[in-house]
Amino acid sequence: MGEAGTDIAVRMTGIVKRFPGIVANDGVEFEARVGEVHALLGENGAGKSTLSNILTGLYRPDEGHIFLRGVDTQFSSPRAALDAGIGMVHQHFRLVSSFSVAENIVLGDDTTSFMLDAKAIEARVEELSNRYGLAVDPRAKVWQLSVGEQQRVEILKVLYRGAKVLILDEPTAVLTPQEADVLFATLRAMVAEGRTVIFISHKLDEVMAVSDRVTVLRGGKTVGTVDTKDSSTRDLARLMVGREVVFNRVVRTVPADESSVVLSLHAVSALDDRGSSALNDVSLTVGRGEIVGVAGVSGNGQRELAEVIAGMRAGSAGTISVNGETVQSGRVRKSISAGIAHVPEDRLHTGLAPSHSVQDNLVLKSYRSSPISKLTVLVQKMIRSNAEQLVEKYDVKTPSTETPVRLLSGGNVQKVLLAREFSTDPRVLVAASPTRGLDVGAIESVRARLVEAADRGVGVLLISEDLEEILSLADRVLVMYEGRIVGNVPAESANREMLGLLMGGANLQGSDR
Amino acid sequence: MKSLFRLERRLEQPKSLNWIVPLVSVAAALVLGAIVLLFTGKNPLSTYWRILESAFASGDSIEGTIRAATPLAFTGLCAAITFRTGIVNIGGEGQYFMGAVGAAWAGLFFAGSGKPVVIVMMVLSGMVWGAMYAGIAGILRARFNTNEIIVTLMMNYIAGIFLDHLIFGSTSYWRDPKSFGFPTGKMLTPKEYWPRVNVFGLELTLGFILAIVVAIALWFMYTRTRFGYEMSVISDAPNAAKYAGIPMRLRIFTVMALAGAVAGFGGASDVGDFRHVLDAKGLQMAGYGYTGIVVAALARNNPLGAVFVAVIMGGLRNAGFALQGPDFPSGLVGTLQGLILFTAVAGEVLTRYRIRVRSNNAEAVTA
Amino acid sequence: MNSNLIVIVLVSAVFYGTPYFFAALGELITERSGVLNLGVEGMMLIGGVSASWASQHLGGPSWLVVLLSIIIGACAAGLVALLHGFLCITLRVNQTVAGLAITIFAGGLGLSSYFASVWNVATKPTTHPINRLNVLGLADKPIVGPILFNQNILTYASWVLCVVVSVYLFRTRIGLQLRAVGESPQTADAMGINVVRYRYVHTVIGGLLAGIGGVYYSLAIVPTWVDGMTKGAGWIAIALVIFGFWRPGLTLAGAYLFGAFSSLSVTLQSRHVSINADLLNALPFLATIIILVVLSSGWAKKRLGAPAALGVPYEREER
Repeated sequence: MGEAGTDIAVRMTGIVKRFPGIVANDGVEFEARVGEVHALLGENGAGKSTLSNILTGLYRPDEGHIFLRGVDTQFSSPRAALDAGIGMVHQHFRLVSSFSVAENIVLGDDTTSFMLDAKAIEARVEELSNRYGLAVDPRAKVWQLSVGEQQRVEILKVLYRGAKVLILDEPTAVLTPQEADVLFATLRAMVAEGRTVIFISHKLDEVMAVSDRVTVLRGGKTVGTVDTKDSSTRDLARLMVGREVVFNRVVRTVPADESSVVLSLHAVSALDDRGSSALNDVSLTVGRGEIVGVAGVSGNGQRELAEVIAGMRAGSAGTISVNGETVQSGRVRKSISAGIAHVPEDRLHTGLAPSHSVQDNLVLKSYRSSPISKLTVLVQKMIRSNAEQLVEKYDVKTPSTETPVRLLSGGNVQKVLLAREFSTDPRVLVAASPTRGLDVGAIESVRARLVEAADRGVGVLLISEDLEEILSLADRVLVMYEGRIVGNVPAESANREMLGLLMGGANLQGSDR
Repeated sequence: MKSLFRLERRLEQPKSLNWIVPLVSVAAALVLGAIVLLFTGKNPLSTYWRILESAFASGDSIEGTIRAATPLAFTGLCAAITFRTGIVNIGGEGQYFMGAVGAAWAGLFFAGSGKPVVIVMMVLSGMVWGAMYAGIAGILRARFNTNEIIVTLMMNYIAGIFLDHLIFGSTSYWRDPKSFGFPTGKMLTPKEYWPRVNVFGLELTLGFILAIVVAIALWFMYTRTRFGYEMSVISDAPNAAKYAGIPMRLRIFTVMALAGAVAGFGGASDVGDFRHVLDAKGLQMAGYGYTGIVVAALARNNPLGAVFVAVIMGGLRNAGFALQGPDFPSGLVGTLQGLILFTAVAGEVLTRYRIRVRSNNAEAVTA
Repeated sequence: MNSNLIVIVLVSAVFYGTPYFFAALGELITERSGVLNLGVEGMMLIGGVSASWASQHLGGPSWLVVLLSIIIGACAAGLVALLHGFLCITLRVNQTVAGLAITIFAGGLGLSSYFASVWNVATKPTTHPINRLNVLGLADKPIVGPILFNQNILTYASWVLCVVVSVYLFRTRIGLQLRAVGESPQTADAMGINVVRYRYVHTVIGGLLAGIGGVYYSLAIVPTWVDGMTKGAGWIAIALVIFGFWRPGLTLAGAYLFGAFSSLSVTLQSRHVSINADLLNALPFLATIIILVVLSSGWAKKRLGAPAALGVPYEREER
């Protein structure tokens, strides 16, 4: 690690930001030095995004001060922040997909000449991209680029505007471990030149690997700032969660029966929305009561895998069978009647109809048959009583069964989803990122339900980007990379490093391990 | 952007807004209209009074109002059906035309078969033609995801040209072969005219009564049936509909065809109740389809509300015709309708957002 | 067909196509900012009636009255466009309905007709119509003479505008920012571009141009006001923008094509050439539908399609 000076680049003190019903930042203290990589660590909902949005001028703090190089500053807009030298690389890219790389980079820069000089702009972009190893063709259209390349454009955007402080929000969410290493090297190069990097993450090993110092947020407050070399993942985890976090495997009361297959995919291939290959000759099985984890960096076909199994997407080849019987591809209703339940990643707009009531959502899959409906007419009494039963059984906190689901908290939204899916008495459950964005209590409750279902004999396919979740719940772990299953290991022999390598496409036979 | 007002999303929508907003909208429109009238030196109060008189004061005026309201009820329902699902169908105009074409054909073809048969065939034919015409746009939207706004707009135009072609541009079945000089359509004989229905001593058009029936049927469908549930989910979250296995394409097509059928029903009423002929010029000048959109917007896409609002708009239109003359400015009807639509959609915004007034540190919330 | 007929058709194409182009260019600019304006027809009529009024009530040398009338007509339409902008940008109302409301409000059965009757505009022809010019004395040259050198001032202005707007959109920084606002307002906002301001400005510009299109009808084509005299030109302009793939040059070509069609049937009939006139009239609309279907496919959409955020109200996160 390079030597960081002690000049303070950015200091935020006493930051308070309130939203309806929640205090996102509650007196946060944060400071980053010139020439350092400073990680901002915290769980989902700890207040990291809010803080960074304040620093980049998107939000105004209700209280508190921001000091840039000692000067008390207020940002009236994101542009003001950018002009002051603070640039953010968002998790969800802000790019115009039909424009070229160069056009995206120069957008919003008022120092560019009125008549655009394409050649000069492209030349400057090339110079910057060479200097920092961010290879990208200035003339390529953004929609043609890969996710990693698009991220490079985002970084170039802020560098082009002369940003001295770079904030990266969960940048490795879309990268393989190997690509992440390349990014870290780039960050080191920038910091060596005297810039400051603020690295927002919830991933402990990355924070340990790349940062000089770490500030941990929890519940909207700063709980500690440590020098990375004096800390460990255990320490950080404790700060982050507030108690000793035990990465133990869940104890199952009913062992899984791998040989009694409930779900089987054989040589399944499928295309993604763009028409390119998303699933490539995928074969897998899930046994009765087995929890099979599917690990992998988002974007390697996991979404398409869930959709194909659920029937939302037609496979271009291969077969899917439940309990030995083939399920017709691409027909949701056939999948449902074959006993496949699906908890999708996008809860509120795919799994549920957000403006509809809890009770209406709970019949989303059962509304076509008796007793919920008779002769095409819906029986309101049944809908209501069905909802009342499920709300009680699954402990859903809602003012009434007629409340629109979008008003419920994240955890309760997920409970409604699970309640509905389990009420269909499925054989197979496909759960995609089931605990993403939930608070700790909700996470535990959801995981408990999954285990409960497995104990009842449901075959669970758990697709998650959270390796820790997979390692603690799964009996067996599959790894997806570029639409293929590249690893199939029993949980006892799986560890983060091996999985990380597989996720990055490495061929384990050729490695030293 | 620093501004005095800010719109902030509401978390809940009180049900009372459903009828308060349209009421306030009409009131606001009347106020704005009064400003326009004053600006040009007319007396708003006396103008409004005359409109009210012409529309509702006597049995005759009410009958006239209901007559004017009949086509608007159908096109209003047509627009409401699709808007409810998030599909922007502005092709009610063209679908109405096609319904008139179909009904005129049936009226001529089945002439002499007895009134009940003729009426049924005219309605069926009108609905089929309207449904098919709308169905084309529906297929384009469902299959190719083509923007239905422009497609239906273009198809309105094409339908108008088709009407012209049938009457003026060719010797078709619809054209009266005996009309030299200025071509006209072949008229139905009085035996095929639709009867009036006597309600409380007033002679109302059959079409209006049927429109009420259709509205009730639609309302029932939306609130009680599986189809209505599916449509509601589709408009709320299309992905959720896909997730639940609702066949999106089929439903979108069905909704368009249904809307076209209702507009076509209106076209049948146009021929049966009013013109008794395929009146190419008259149909194109009437603008029923576009007014129907105003009706649907003000009624917030509620089928029963649409019929009620159609009566209001019909009153306005009726008054416009009755009062036409040097004394009464032309174009006032359209102006007021436009203002009502403005205030209706602006009011719609208030159901989803609140206004926040900024005053330094404190913030006050309005409504 | 003999060359005489072709020349007549081409002259008509340019003459009748010009108002289509003005309105379509305005709509193109507005749509590039992401706002859909279906109120073009209404704006044209307001522009036309205002210009009629102006040309009947203003005194002075003819060229000055014409100029002022054009400006007044444009501004009147611009005000209506401001209203549309307020509804769509600030209130975030459904843009389709707002546009239709404008057309009903201002259109042939609405305000433009109201003003016409209240101001008594239709009773006599304009005293200062926009006449054709004889540029460089070349109006009599064979073929190119009538087509290129015998048009009116607005037509020549439209050619200049076509070039200016093209350069503006594709070669300037502001044009790039405008296109970004129409493609991805979130991105533009994040880059510090004032989305609201861009949309308002370009919606009003669209209205100004639509107004000029309307003025063309009331002062150049038939120098007397008739209620609803644009006869759907506003709707044609909306189709034209798609037809021209949101590019000024193609839109100009399309406008002339549509202009040719609209005068063709009359011309052909007077020459006893029997082509089904109705089919010709319907062709531009059919063609637009076909183009739309093609544009819906993935390949064409990315390269040729509409601004991605067209018609979607922009809502920024809370500050």
